[in-house]
Amino acid sequence: MKRQLPLILVFVFGTLMVIQYFVPHENSETVKGFLLDWIVIIGIFALALGLWSLVQVSVAKINSRKENWEYPLVTLASLVMMMFFGFTAITEGASLWSYFLAITVFLIALWMFLQGFMGQAANRNMKLLSGLGLLIVFSLLAIFDSSWEFKFYTAEGLTNQMFVHFFDYIMIPLQATMFALLAFFITSASYRAFRARNLLATLLLIAALIVMLRFTPGPWGEYLAKTSAWVMNVPNLAAQRAIVIGIGLGIVATALKVILGIERGYMGKG
Amino acid sequence: MRSYLEKMKASRVLLLVLVCSLLLVSFSTSLLAQTDSDTDTPADSIPAIAAPAQVTDLKAFDTDNDHGHSITIEWTLSADDGAGAKSVISYEIMRWEPFVRDSVMAARDSLGWVQARINKFEKEIPLAEESLDEVLTGQPFLDSLSFLVAYDEKDTSFVLTSEYVDKTLRDTIAAMKRDLPVLKVRAPLLPARFDSLLILLPKEYGKYPDATIGRFDSVGTAVSGVTSHENSSAVDSRSPGFIPDFIDYYYRIDVQTSDPNIRTTSEIVGPVQSSGQWFNSGLVPVLIAILVFTILTMIFVQLAKKGMDLYVRPLAGIEAVDEAIGRATEMGRPILYVLGLGSAADIATIASFTILGRVAKKVAEYQTELNVPCYDPIVMAVAQEVVKSAFIDAGRPEAYKDDIVHFITNSQFAYVGAVNGIIMRDLPATNVYMGKFFAESLILAETGAVAGSIQIAGTDEIPQIPFFFVACDYTLIGEELFAASAYLGREPELLGSLKAQDYAKAVLLASAIIGILLINIFPEYGETFKSWFEVID
Amino acid sequence: METVSIWIAAILTLGIFSFLYKDNPLYKACEALFVGVSAAYWAIVFYFDNIYKKFYEGAVTAEEPDYFLWIGAILGLLFLTRLIPNIGWVSRWPMALIVGATAGLWMVGYFVSNAMNQIGNTISNIIVRDAATGFIAWGETFGTLVILVGVLSGLVYFFFSKEHKGVFGATAKVGTWFLMVTFGASFGYTVMSRMSLLIGRVDFLLGDWLHILR
Repeated sequence: MKRQLPLILVFVFGTLMVIQYFVPHENSETVKGFLLDWIVIIGIFALALGLWSLVQVSVAKINSRKENWEYPLVTLASLVMMMFFGFTAITEGASLWSYFLAITVFLIALWMFLQGFMGQAANRNMKLLSGLGLLIVFSLLAIFDSSWEFKFYTAEGLTNQMFVHFFDYIMIPLQATMFALLAFFITSASYRAFRARNLLATLLLIAALIVMLRFTPGPWGEYLAKTSAWVMNVPNLAAQRAIVIGIGLGIVATALKVILGIERGYMGKG
Repeated sequence: MRSYLEKMKASRVLLLVLVCSLLLVSFSTSLLAQTDSDTDTPADSIPAIAAPAQVTDLKAFDTDNDHGHSITIEWTLSADDGAGAKSVISYEIMRWEPFVRDSVMAARDSLGWVQARINKFEKEIPLAEESLDEVLTGQPFLDSLSFLVAYDEKDTSFVLTSEYVDKTLRDTIAAMKRDLPVLKVRAPLLPARFDSLLILLPKEYGKYPDATIGRFDSVGTAVSGVTSHENSSAVDSRSPGFIPDFIDYYYRIDVQTSDPNIRTTSEIVGPVQSSGQWFNSGLVPVLIAILVFTILTMIFVQLAKKGMDLYVRPLAGIEAVDEAIGRATEMGRPILYVLGLGSAADIATIASFTILGRVAKKVAEYQTELNVPCYDPIVMAVAQEVVKSAFIDAGRPEAYKDDIVHFITNSQFAYVGAVNGIIMRDLPATNVYMGKFFAESLILAETGAVAGSIQIAGTDEIPQIPFFFVACDYTLIGEELFAASAYLGREPELLGSLKAQDYAKAVLLASAIIGILLINIFPEYGETFKSWFEVID
Repeated sequence: METVSIWIAAILTLGIFSFLYKDNPLYKACEALFVGVSAAYWAIVFYFDNIYKKFYEGAVTAEEPDYFLWIGAILGLLFLTRLIPNIGWVSRWPMALIVGATAGLWMVGYFVSNAMNQIGNTISNIIVRDAATGFIAWGETFGTLVILVGVLSGLVYFFFSKEHKGVFGATAKVGTWFLMVTFGASFGYTVMSRMSLLIGRVDFLLGDWLHILR
């Protein structure tokens, strides 16, 4: 039951989708649409599981007091703050001080709770109680402070100025810079590649050089541009096609093994 | 110029001038005449374009292999399209519509508007109440009222008091509130009522060609030289221009010229109905291929179970896995396993789960540390199951902890940043990257190389393979990733399916060679053969 | 506010770049911040896009509620049973749905696009004739031959159950040459675009932050 039923479900849904591929009728499209919608919805529920894992691991690291234990504090605080921004709307023109006060109280309350639930056995109840007290303070702030309010049913949090600022000036620069690191890494990777000395590495090197220098100006430029176009359109295309066919067969074979229950490594035992 | 004129006799020059002015006069009069004719008497105009020949062989039929709601129209070009008078600009596809269709569709389209008004109305009732309160308690209003009261006392027929305002307006608002629920219940039912009206339409369509209840309307145009058109709509009955299935349609084609008034109408074809199909006959070659592949796999799996000797050539990347785990154990450093950015719905990730299972089992046996940071929460959940089972299999269930497999974030570069941190801080002896990878592949692999870890990678993302190839010690290229699970487990079932995969590859290879020979020697057969492979979804 | 924000963005940018020198506290802080903010950001966006817009508005508040969506929500809740040790195995049902349905979905789709269509594309005339003159275009004919050899030898490389020996081994070896050329070309092709990413960040630091550029 624990293990058989899931495998039967895999077989049923897998076969259903395979058949669906051959049926152009609109009912078949509806079935596919629903299955895909369900998958999306399950994914969101799973996200809660993911966030819980992130919180759990972070708290464990902090409590271990091993090297670098301070940084998960930053992760937790920024996680909670950003979530808070996303679910609240600030009244236009209102001062942000009481908003920040509320966030601070909320953060401390949450921390007390987390410590109470996951911390050491000693004074757990103390922590839970103080967390509860702070949560009451926070609730009072939420009810009586008119400068901000919770919005769970309208996406006003997405336009909350703090949410937008965190996105524009924290997430975007970090993301772009992380991506930009690639410029350095591709340079060091090139060095690594070009140092290798054998026939295969040399082939790779020559092809890379030709394509890399395709924009070179001057008398060699035109020749290099033409050669690089040939490399891209002929040998590159040929090998890409071979890889693509291989991947296609690999995917078909793996999917078939999954549907037939031959491959079940993805499903736990227990 | 001067010398030229000098050479000519004066009489000739005169003649030239005369001819020129004559031409000018006649040209301008003809221009005038033409503008007159446009406005007054078309019959007198010079017939610029003759009516083009009509299209022939007009056919209308249900579009094949589709989800319905579509009719294909085919015709033979007008004799004046690209030939003859060459006067054809385009073809207008005309479909017979009962008048009532327009009204029903228009009325139904306006329902959205009605609904929006009701919503607005609902929102405005509290506003009205609020402003009424404000008005009645507001000093400006009370002041003006007292003035009015004083004034009205002279005219005893009508006295405006705040009580009066209060009562009448409150009654009105109360009435609005009372009616609102009724409106709110009834209005949403209207679209369904109209949808049922649309179902009555077929009866009207059936009355063709009664000109009193319908007419031909344009449903599209095709430029000259085109001989077919697909008249189709979306599946949703609320979409614009929706074409219901199982309704009689009639079509004709109007040949259009540059003059909008000159067009030739074709004969009318019909009735024709659209419907969806339950099997896409264009996919027969795919169905056959998939069935053959499935049967092949099942046969080889059975053979393998019975003990058939299955040779697989060595793959360096796979053989390195054991060695790498051993190395980690010796060095007392952890093993990092990255499943990539794929979701549990990606086959590459599923293949990676199996590899993770084998790695985790070895790790448990060798009592090494394992770290699996995840990008996707479902992948995390599945990976936890996989690792847990592997630890149980290895007989060390007590060594399993849920934080071996943990979620980081589902933001590509934040995830990479965190994994980079793990690589630089924990200095894993071995990094395994298996699954779907994108731009982050090189960041991870280079950081790992700098940290001195042994790195084994495998992905089906072709653009990333080169980066792994350059920065990692071993790379599984494309299909090798999917074969890896069979290699690692050495289970006969998996090896059997690998054999089937090779046979499929051989069949494809042979098909390519046969196809190329055919197309070069017997082009006609070759094209047919090729078309079996060019199916589109 | 704006100036403070740009300073924060600049410090974070430098913090990530500092990783190139070595792992350091600033990078660690940036990384921790990035993880927290991004996890929350996507959680919020997914919540409003899916739980709220797709599910709540589609199945709860809609005029004609889509009751099928409730099944999705129930499956989602079943997935959360992982948190409860004794009934955690129930979470395999939604997992089975995801894996099964997508395996079926990909199986035929990939077979058509990756295997059949690619073979269809490979089947072509080897001898290319110049469209205008009708003479054999030697350059292009050579190209089609090379493509043919590349595809076939590349495929041979991917055979797993046959030893790479003799003619078969030699063909597979030619296949690896083609693979190397592809890897090199693909690598070379990406270098420039990666450089432009760096230029973008430097532009931010020198322009928006320090106002040296512009």
